[in-house]
Amino acid sequence: MTDNRESNARNDQIRATEENLISRIVDGEKDLFLELIRPYQRTVYATLITMLRSKEDAEDVTQDVLLKALARLHQFRREAAFGTWVIQIAINEARMRKRKMSHGTMFSLTSAADDEGAYVPKDFADWREIPSEALERSETREALAKALALLEEHYRLAFILRDVNELSITETANVLGITRGAVKTRLRRARLMLRDILSPGLQQGGQVGLAFKEVRNPWE
Amino acid sequence: MGITCEEVWRDISDYVDDELDQKQRAVLEEHFAKCRRCAAVLEGTFNVIRLYRDERVLAPPKGFHDRLHARLNQKLNQGPDERIHPSRRAVLAWALAAAAAVPLGFALFSAKRFILPGLEHQSPTGSPDSPAVKGLVAVSLDANNKTFHIPSCPYLHGKPKFIRAEEAIREGYTPCVYCIGKPQPKKNS
Repeated sequence: MTDNRESNARNDQIRATEENLISRIVDGEKDLFLELIRPYQRTVYATLITMLRSKEDAEDVTQDVLLKALARLHQFRREAAFGTWVIQIAINEARMRKRKMSHGTMFSLTSAADDEGAYVPKDFADWREIPSEALERSETREALAKALALLEEHYRLAFILRDVNELSITETANVLGITRGAVKTRLRRARLMLRDILSPGLQQGGQVGLAFKEVRNPWE
Repeated sequence: MGITCEEVWRDISDYVDDELDQKQRAVLEEHFAKCRRCAAVLEGTFNVIRLYRDERVLAPPKGFHDRLHARLNQKLNQGPDERIHPSRRAVLAWALAAAAAVPLGFALFSAKRFILPGLEHQSPTGSPDSPAVKGLVAVSLDANNKTFHIPSCPYLHGKPKFIRAEEAIREGYTPCVYCIGKPQPKKNS
């Protein structure tokens, strides 16, 4: 509870700082925009690579999204956090890009149905403590990206928004246009599936080998 | 009261998100203390979140920030940026519209002088209190009133017929007060 209070106080402080920056930018101090978006560059990129699956497209669209945010900053309604607003622009932009890439073929903007069935974990081995140095290795980071790519998009997005971008469950629900309950369902499945994919002891007929064939225990 | 492993797996994500009430949390924690498998699932779930939350994971490629900043700087240094303040674009549109309205108004005002050659101020009746018109004017074949207009007058309704102003006056038509004007008052001087 103390953690929550501290976190809320920190969020309030961040929000106040951002609102001040936004007012100054809208009033003409445009250079401050770079400062405003600095904390969100990675989260926007992470969201876009999750949706577009191409580093080039994700970078290209990230630039477009931030330029759009700059152009529309005066329209920003302060009911939502700035970060949430930018992520919403990113998701809309990615959907438009995907629709264009589909060359006029039908593309559903609605998410696939959630699997309501209970998810049963497949691996129960204890994870050893993950050394921070493991993440210095590019193959470890690649393995994590590939593991995430194995999930269906609606699970990936819920996971990215909540666990990577650190949106609240309510914010995630608002951005995705779904209920809090649906967010929780997707999160549960995404987290447990990722845990199973990444669990060092798991073998799944080479499927997981996409991520871990050569790196059976990526943390070593 | 005990809880099954299946029930734990159903609630484990809510436990991580602190979405359970105190009683539910206590029940799960009691189970984790006794069940090594569920404790492993919980620990693994925390690990997954911890891993992906690390800034190094899903990080933009090398040079990303430089390229992004270059593009943003380019946009920011373009001087007054209409994309930042679309309201300025609206202001500009209004200014252009206003600028265009001046010659347009002048053109309309002068229409009766320039649209019809020879439609100059001159008393068609020879009376000093009538608007001066000569040349071609339009009368409506369908209207009940006997009014003549300049051809572009919006108050000209029905099928038009073009005749000379003198002829219109001779036939009893009177000038339209909107496009030709009201009879001018007599000057006392």
